[in-house]
Amino acid sequence: MRAVICPQFGPPEVLRVADVPRPEIAPGMARVRIAYAAINFADIVMIEGAYQKKRPLPFVAGMEYSGVVTECGPGVAGVAPGDRVMSFEFFDCFADEIVAPAAHLYPVPDGKPLTEAAALPVGYGTGHGALEWRARMRPGEWVLVHGAAGGVGLGTVEVAKAMGGTVIACAGGAGKVKRALDHGADYGIDYTAEDIRARVLEITGGRGVDVVVDPVGGDAWEASLRCVNWRARMVIVGFAGGRVPQIPANILLVKNVAAVGYWWGDYREKRPAMMRDSVAKLTDWWREGKLRPHVSHILPMEEVTEAMNLLVRREATGRVLLDIGGEEA
Amino acid sequence: MRAILCHGWGGPEDLTLGDAPSPPITPDGVRIAARATGVNFADTLMIRGRYQRKPDLPFSPGLETAGVVTEVGAAVTRLKPGDRVVSALMWGGFAEEVMAEERFTFKIPDEMGFEDAVNFAVAYPTAHGALLWQGRLAAGETALIHGAAGGVGLAGVEIAKAMGATVIATAGTDAKGALARDHGADHAINTTTENIRDRVLEITGGRGADMVLELIGGEVFDATLRCAAWNARIVSVGFASGSIPQAPCNILLVKNIGVLGFALSTYRKNRFDLADASMTQLFDWWRAGKLKPVIDRRMDFARAAEALNLLIDRKVTGKLVLTFDGGD
Repeated sequence: MRAVICPQFGPPEVLRVADVPRPEIAPGMARVRIAYAAINFADIVMIEGAYQKKRPLPFVAGMEYSGVVTECGPGVAGVAPGDRVMSFEFFDCFADEIVAPAAHLYPVPDGKPLTEAAALPVGYGTGHGALEWRARMRPGEWVLVHGAAGGVGLGTVEVAKAMGGTVIACAGGAGKVKRALDHGADYGIDYTAEDIRARVLEITGGRGVDVVVDPVGGDAWEASLRCVNWRARMVIVGFAGGRVPQIPANILLVKNVAAVGYWWGDYREKRPAMMRDSVAKLTDWWREGKLRPHVSHILPMEEVTEAMNLLVRREATGRVLLDIGGEEA
Repeated sequence: MRAILCHGWGGPEDLTLGDAPSPPITPDGVRIAARATGVNFADTLMIRGRYQRKPDLPFSPGLETAGVVTEVGAAVTRLKPGDRVVSALMWGGFAEEVMAEERFTFKIPDEMGFEDAVNFAVAYPTAHGALLWQGRLAAGETALIHGAAGGVGLAGVEIAKAMGATVIATAGTDAKGALARDHGADHAINTTTENIRDRVLEITGGRGADMVLELIGGEVFDATLRCAAWNARIVSVGFASGSIPQAPCNILLVKNIGVLGFALSTYRKNRFDLADASMTQLFDWWRAGKLKPVIDRRMDFARAAEALNLLIDRKVTGKLVLTFDGGD
């Protein structure tokens, strides 16, 4: 079968599409013919060799996908051939097929396209966990979302609205701000043209925000530290902006601020029930039309390097997908 | 009234004992006739002008006073003359009378002496708030308490036990570790002779600590990051080492760890309901014998300079209390 191989650590240019043996089915596992795979910023970190999960080279890259179950191994319950599913792993998803634990597969509701399905788990899951598990966000709270037009950011904007928050979306450029506003954000800040701190304080009447969800890091994080309310919860999702900040603890003290690190992917292993409940909730909201996963580009698997570079060049909004088997998979 | 006065920034030797006017009543003010007042390291910084609060000169140092209410301001509703109380102050404790704020003043149990009460102005409420509101410490979890023989640290040890946690105490000497164990710590680590990270991982079978009470900073904070459990909460209440901890965001991310700042005064201003409930819980635990304040010694308040020097020379374990004529 075809698969995207990372033969050495480096930029997206190192990736190759190659022919590899099909994975073997095993007890508890199911084979999925992949329809679409989403590009995550974490993929870029992974192929650089800097991600917190490691596998020896060469490995098959890709973390998120949708598709159709074609075969179930012994002992699999609750999943059957023909099921349309979405899922995430840390490797192996940029391929024609994957054999994954059946428990990792989440059902896609009838009538929902597999394109949206590939764009849901990581971005929306990460956003929901950030707000629910890490920030314990309550209705009516002010939420500042950075990278608000990106995969995690846009998902977080929509989930925060579904949870009753008031959302300030921060993004680079008027087009991205508009995208976030179109997906429910109450206010937008274009950091290329505006001062984040000044605008947040203006918007919140001087109070500052209660929750920050930050996949960007760097200047975005540092600006946020200076416009939070007391007892604010700042969720550290990632450093797509390139710089890992240090937090001097004294800044947290006076306003009783929490700076919480957050790695969503680890929760499936550490807190499987919480993960399951979260995906079920997101699926309900998706079915109800409250969540509208956005895909800005779909490219064939062979163009995986260009697909990743769309993220590197910050041209993507929502998700970029690889078309692997397509909708008829 | 008589008061210890700081006329210019300097050391304890520059303080004088003299007469000062009684502080005027304010709308939410509570006038307290002092019976006992606590001596804190912050006092030594404040008289040098090196604390985050810088009063106008002259002023009396002193952050925590227990005594009897003699007058209340027009807006005060919770307290009345005759009440036996303890209060956390901005400054002013080394004086026969203080003008306290209602929100920072609490009635103490009838059975509690004024000297024990001093510990309930700041130390116990700080530890409790840090563990409960920020740390969300749950029964069965492992709490790592740094500076465990100091005021807030020892309070943290006792409270963490009362909350059902397994307690690992760290301190700079074996004697301090023994004190922490006397007050309930299940394990004690000597930070001078032992490796904090290795010991915590050993004690917890590799899991790490779920909740950390951090008041040292510096290397202790760095070691803490390396032995914190997944989903740990590190609550920072101060930096006795002088070295402000820098939390690197990538380590927090991969371990799903939170660093939370805690300042008691902000809670007392913004969520008095929580602060009040905390005091009630603390006094209940004290009645049940779970909290045993350590008094290092009592000295007449006229000897404040001597007391501050004892603190500077690190000769104090527990609370050093200054008392006023009439005793308890």
